Amino acid sequence: MQEFDVLVVGGGAAGLRAAIAAKHAGATVALISKVHPLRTNSAIAQGGLNAPLGKNDSPESFAQDTFVAGDDLCDRDVVRIFTQKASQDIIWLERMGVPFNRDTEGRLDRRPFGSNRQSRTCYTDDRTGHMVLQVLHEQFQREQIPSFEEWYVTSLAVDGAACLGAIALGLRAGKLDAFPARSVVLATGGFTRLYLPSTASLGTTGDGQCLAYGAGARLMDMEMIQFHPTVLAKKDGLLITEAVLGEGGVIVDQKGGSAADLKGVPRHRICLSIHRMQNGDGSVSLDLRPIGKDKLARFPQTQETVKAVGGLDILKEPVPIRPAAHRPMGGIETNATGETSIAGLFAVGECACNGLNGAGRLAGNTLTEAVVFGSRIGEAAAKQARAATQRSFPTAKTTDEEQRLAKITSEQSSNDSLRKIHGELGRLMNEKVGVIRSGTGLKEALDEIQSLKERYSKIRVKNPSRIYNYELTSYLELGSMLTLAEIVASAAQNRTESRGAHHRADFPERDDTNWKSHTVATLAGGSVQLQKKPMASS
Amino acid sequence: MEVTFKVYRKDPEKDGKPGRSNYTVEVAESATVLDALLKIRDEVDSTLAFRASCAKGYCGECMVRVNGSARLCCTAKVPDYTKKGPEISLDPLRNIPVIKDLVFDFDAFLWNKIKAVKPWLESDGSSVNGENLLPDSQMQDMRKVMSCFNCGMCDEGCTVLPVDFNFLGPAALTKAYRLAFDPRNKNSREQVKIVEKPKGIWDCVHCYEADEHCPRGIEPTKRIVALRDKAYHAGITHETVARHHKSFAASVKESGWVDEGRLAVESEGLTNVKGLMKLLPTAAKALAKGKAPIPYMHAKRPDADRIKKIFEKAEQEEK
Repeated sequence: MQEFDVLVVGGGAAGLRAAIAAKHAGATVALISKVHPLRTNSAIAQGGLNAPLGKNDSPESFAQDTFVAGDDLCDRDVVRIFTQKASQDIIWLERMGVPFNRDTEGRLDRRPFGSNRQSRTCYTDDRTGHMVLQVLHEQFQREQIPSFEEWYVTSLAVDGAACLGAIALGLRAGKLDAFPARSVVLATGGFTRLYLPSTASLGTTGDGQCLAYGAGARLMDMEMIQFHPTVLAKKDGLLITEAVLGEGGVIVDQKGGSAADLKGVPRHRICLSIHRMQNGDGSVSLDLRPIGKDKLARFPQTQETVKAVGGLDILKEPVPIRPAAHRPMGGIETNATGETSIAGLFAVGECACNGLNGAGRLAGNTLTEAVVFGSRIGEAAAKQARAATQRSFPTAKTTDEEQRLAKITSEQSSNDSLRKIHGELGRLMNEKVGVIRSGTGLKEALDEIQSLKERYSKIRVKNPSRIYNYELTSYLELGSMLTLAEIVASAAQNRTESRGAHHRADFPERDDTNWKSHTVATLAGGSVQLQKKPMASS
Repeated sequence: MEVTFKVYRKDPEKDGKPGRSNYTVEVAESATVLDALLKIRDEVDSTLAFRASCAKGYCGECMVRVNGSARLCCTAKVPDYTKKGPEISLDPLRNIPVIKDLVFDFDAFLWNKIKAVKPWLESDGSSVNGENLLPDSQMQDMRKVMSCFNCGMCDEGCTVLPVDFNFLGPAALTKAYRLAFDPRNKNSREQVKIVEKPKGIWDCVHCYEADEHCPRGIEPTKRIVALRDKAYHAGITHETVARHHKSFAASVKESGWVDEGRLAVESEGLTNVKGLMKLLPTAAKALAKGKAPIPYMHAKRPDADRIKKIFEKAEQEEK
């Protein structure tokens, strides 16, 4: 049971960047990830990352665009820290080896993307996440940081109000182990797998948010779920980067009429437009042919995956699309240095909510957020580890965890199954807590989530082995998703206005008088407690 | 449609011997092999172990052999594999230690080999001078190579790995190429030195199977050849096999064909007494069987001068 100064949970872009920064700051660091870092959800990000590098661009102009996309629910100080630091952090990535596309002068090329009013999105074709993740993993290996891959964190060790480490199950050895640490950084990614369809990887199930919430941390703005407008309709959640719209792609209805100009519009508005177009006689398509063959060469992965998954050729035909759940804006509440309400527990990236994204993520901000706050929070965690008083790890926690896992394992048979419950949850969330919500629908959703939770509580894990027992991890993941689904639906029911990604058919207007505030969710007496948190003034 | 999946099984907690389970399940016409596996684990046999992550063809995690060929489960559509009948066999990739069922040892197979080439750029991250100014053509080559998503299909197709599992393999060597040829790497000789050692570039038999197998068209064999050229031109040529190449070319250039005796001696190195001693038994055997002329003479072949001219032209072009 080796103790580390900093334990990073999650091997995606934010986790790797945090681990590298903590190591640079002099800390001993370890990283735990339930899949190999190169298989994390960061790998599927495509369009690019924002940095105000243009001659006519500025951090302030970038900040303004971020506020607009967030529909004025962003914490302005956090946004300004972010937009000030973005350029240097993207240049760091370039210097470490990301093969960014270049302009004719050899500088980082920037593409028009989403509702950025400037071309400020640096990119590597349509594989930006894959490349950024790869280079971060290279530098992570350069730092010789111990990496526990295919380890699933089942519990945080929180004693009083301080986090003292985590307990994790090694899938390969099939054993639980304790990971004492002075700082724990959660970088476990989002939770949009609780929607179906979803653009996210199978493991994007909100484990980190659920662990933190269960340990007493606060979750913020959980009702804010970004749907991605251009997702292949045929199959579960294959995303086509929105960068194709900036490059000339058009959204067309069944009769071939193109939608009113959706270029440069925030994602939630495009989703609403598509939703309305679908209400006629159904299908909406994305036509990429206007981009032209030359520029389409910048989308090799899109060509490959649309062909492989959907059997369609983007050079020859329009592609049927629909909006699908993409990334949450909400997560574990943190301040600008990633601190949560539990001492020693930090959160960063998609699992965190520091107020950067408000009610809508600006396209191209997610990867930049991962690297900008990844490095910042890595440093902060190292600093906290130096200052923390030595406390011994509560070893009884590991025995408790053993018993808990033993209790959920039993050979009893039932007609119900994890996948059935997950399928029903996903469809329910998509339909009633999706792009357009209503008071009645949300009430129904909450009732149905309750009944799904009851069904879940009767399910047992049949496989008694601990070695690569994916039934067990799926069971734990579904537990996280059900917990978070209830919070998302409750917060959505509570917010009686429309703002950003949260659109209420029964309250279609934005209501600044009553709702210019965050939603904070805490666990109290076994149920969700919601309260408003005023926005930081500045 | 009803399909029977014949799945490779191995349980490290039992006797560890490989076996097979047959699962007959109903799947949609549009189902992928991954959809079927998830259904089997959920409804039929929760002990079945297999990996999957993005489920959309991006990440390379769910590579298995479908009816004998390496495929990503998440993009392999069931109807494409049932044309000869409603049965599909699923196996782990070949030549790789299996941990459990379809979960094989990715560390031994790929990750540790990639680690062995020190897979990172030596660079500092200072933003003071802005980004490196580089032509897009150079970056385009890097983007191509780095589009590798570690699916392992090149290593699966490699004809050396089944003979020598310790060969670095095309995937790790392609990673080495990425570092050796990135103009931003301050210590790009390092990777060349690593892969130039035994089990590296010179062990490749250039069968081009890796190029045939790579789903992204990265052409690993081409990258290995480029690394060889770089090692050769950078003067990192002390390995036997590099001397072998040099001697081979020199002898063909001079006489029009290979001088076997000279090749053997020069490959070992003229000052390498130990290596030369190793040749003696072979030489003795060859003599005993009348396979070597006495005295040893190597004659030019007819038209050797024309062959020499080809060499000279190629050398000039290289300059």
